[in-house]
Amino acid sequence: MNEAKPEQHDSETNLPHETNERRGFLGSAAGITAAVLGGLLGVGPLAIGLYATVMDPLRKKTTPQKVAGGAVGAKEGFYFVAQLGELDSHVPRRFTIMADKIDAWNFMKDQPIGSVYMRMQGEQVECFHTTCPHAGCAVSYELESQAYQCPCHNSSFNVDGSKLEGGRSSNPSPRGLDALEVYVQGTSVFVKYEDYFTGRHAKIAK
Amino acid sequence: MFRKLYSWFDSRTGIQASLEEALYENIPGGAKWRYVSGSMLVFAFMTQLITGLFLWMHYSPGSQNAWASVYYITFEMEGGNLLRGIHHVMAQAMVCLLPIHLLQVVIEKAYTKPREFNWWLGLVLMKITLALGLTGYLLPWDQQGYWATKVATELAALPPLIGGLTQKLIVGGSDYGHFTLTRFFALHAGVLPGLLIGFLVLHLAMFRKHGITAHSSPHRPDQLFWPMQVLKDGIACALLFAVVVFAAIAEPVELGPPAEPTEAFGAARPEWYFLFLFQMLKYFDGSLGFNTELVGAIVLPVVLIGFMFAMPLIARKKFGHHLNVTVIVMIISAVVYLTWEAKQEDNYYLNHPDDTQSEAYKRSKRFHEEVGRSEKEFELIQQLVKDYGIPLEGPTALQQRDPLTMGLRLFRRQCASCHAYSHDEYAIAGPPNPDARHDSPLNYGAPDLAHFGSVKWIQGLLSNDAVTGIRSERYFGKTLHVSGEMAEHVHETMWASAETAADRQTLATQIEQVAWALSAEAQLPYLDYAANQEKIEAGIAHLNDDTLGCIGCHNYGDNEDGYVIDLNGYASAEWITKMISEPTQTGFYDGGSDNDRMPSFHTAATKLLTPREIELLVRFLREDRSLIDD
Repeated sequence: MNEAKPEQHDSETNLPHETNERRGFLGSAAGITAAVLGGLLGVGPLAIGLYATVMDPLRKKTTPQKVAGGAVGAKEGFYFVAQLGELDSHVPRRFTIMADKIDAWNFMKDQPIGSVYMRMQGEQVECFHTTCPHAGCAVSYELESQAYQCPCHNSSFNVDGSKLEGGRSSNPSPRGLDALEVYVQGTSVFVKYEDYFTGRHAKIAK
Repeated sequence: MFRKLYSWFDSRTGIQASLEEALYENIPGGAKWRYVSGSMLVFAFMTQLITGLFLWMHYSPGSQNAWASVYYITFEMEGGNLLRGIHHVMAQAMVCLLPIHLLQVVIEKAYTKPREFNWWLGLVLMKITLALGLTGYLLPWDQQGYWATKVATELAALPPLIGGLTQKLIVGGSDYGHFTLTRFFALHAGVLPGLLIGFLVLHLAMFRKHGITAHSSPHRPDQLFWPMQVLKDGIACALLFAVVVFAAIAEPVELGPPAEPTEAFGAARPEWYFLFLFQMLKYFDGSLGFNTELVGAIVLPVVLIGFMFAMPLIARKKFGHHLNVTVIVMIISAVVYLTWEAKQEDNYYLNHPDDTQSEAYKRSKRFHEEVGRSEKEFELIQQLVKDYGIPLEGPTALQQRDPLTMGLRLFRRQCASCHAYSHDEYAIAGPPNPDARHDSPLNYGAPDLAHFGSVKWIQGLLSNDAVTGIRSERYFGKTLHVSGEMAEHVHETMWASAETAADRQTLATQIEQVAWALSAEAQLPYLDYAANQEKIEAGIAHLNDDTLGCIGCHNYGDNEDGYVIDLNGYASAEWITKMISEPTQTGFYDGGSDNDRMPSFHTAATKLLTPREIELLVRFLREDRSLIDD
């Protein structure tokens, strides 16, 4: 429409008379330069934002700095969790792991960073992550069924951590509960506490 | 005068032309009620923008502040509940209107040539709306939103290779924290609405370019958008708003107890419109030998969305449109069915009250217990906020100091595998005893600790009643002590020797007096000892004279020959602290020979409970509601 009546339009809006400048969007060096420049102007702030803010967590180590209570594990990555005397040989008990924690700009002393279930199996300490390997809800041990039950998608596990099969409802967990490495020094029980990817057959640390 | 002013204004702004452009859109076949769904969606979104902006004015993201600010908005700000309620209900209305709008487009074949781009833009708008729902659910930072969203972000880690990275970017680190909230808030209040506005402008521009998908009919003349369609749209939107306001008032928007990363919430469910996805996950159980969860959570939804994107292209084939309609109807049916099934499973226990032994019943019952527990925790925190206000460290710091909130949690975790707590307001069930044999390690049981140390509790301990007395499950029924000296003494000596009704009446009176005397040792905050001084003195005399035969086994006052359960300071804070810490010590179950199965909770060798936790439990058992110091 504009092309058809250039004179009339120009007189209204005071556009320059050289209408041939409009012949194509990228028809000139100036056009190409302007388009590239315009594009870059948008990309610049976006790139710095993505790099500085969005990718920030990828560069930060959010793992706890040191183990609370002075009981530092003899091995790297192990946390003090309990004393041997606190473990029962029949019923798994839930223990909370405490450590100093950094959340973004806050430093917090002695925070619960996760929890595990432990029980004595003969001479051995058996330890499971409380996170359900299916979708990450927290399982709890039920005395009544003598099994670990997940409250979300009906996953359940035997007391030894293996998947409970044969129930009437489905059991969507891809694997049994994640056993954690335990290290006993004297009467102190240390656990290598780490999170694993959920929803996969293989147990892969995050 | 006005006309002159308007003409001046129009000559400089061109408003007349713009208005004509906007309002004089031709509608073939005239205005219709069924064209209102699009306008309703725009109106719903505008409502969300406006209410959202005002909520923003008082919302503060961050682990300590989020719940506190939403609490303030919801319960302390006049009109705040309605404001948040409208935002909350309108979000759901939007999700309900989306499939209606979409179905209309499909049925009218409005997604086909030349309107492909508008269909695609619509699908993008739908995704953005759902993403707004998902991100908004977390912002109050209550238990429900926290644990439900955690599952959603776990699913983000499912795709191989990029999964872990994606999850970290969304969550803002490897764990939930400040960054999760600041990111979700930036998405919810900035990025997503911005995108939505952008795509909505394109959607509307495309719509105006192609016009309404309708044909003129000889019976119904064409009409312009203004005024009839605008009026119809306006009435529909007004009705929608009225319904939303009514719903927001009729059922005030709720808030759960504050998020607590170590207190798993066992009834976490997504917002109802995502329940079908939640339910679908139960079907992908990995029994095929490969990672089927990925299929259920990511692949299948992506395939279905992909199909929807391909619909305009499929429609060009013969029977393509019929295929599209069939698939869309199937998807919607499946979504409705899965949502219904998820609700059914959660409510199984209510709908099948007799099927008590089934797994489904037990699961559903646990779900409802968790919901009840969460409601109770909210009541408690609400009272705490009223009494003390929310400290800088956030609402959970307040909970951590409250003997009732923490006592209930600690009792459940550490005591309830043996002890019941049948309090009127805060009952906790004891152990289920799956194996009835007494020597079975699974047959746990111990006295009911509700009102422990009260007159009534002690009276029960000294009673031979089969249901409420010492040998009942309320006291020693499930312990070794059921056949021990104490139970034998109560049954065989105290009550057996009271032969006549008058004797039994005398004994009952003496027991009541002794119970008052012992309870006075506890000085429980909920009993009036001053008003019962006579009974207490009589009881003390009975104890000193050994009327009931307590002395000899128990220490009391000057009598120090006892070897089990010191009655001095009985059920006092100090006494209970010792009992919980190390029941095998002198003055309790001396050396442990008389201890049944009570574990030591805090000794040099075991620290199942910290001193602070024991203090909380002690106050809880004594029903002393004063906060502990930090």
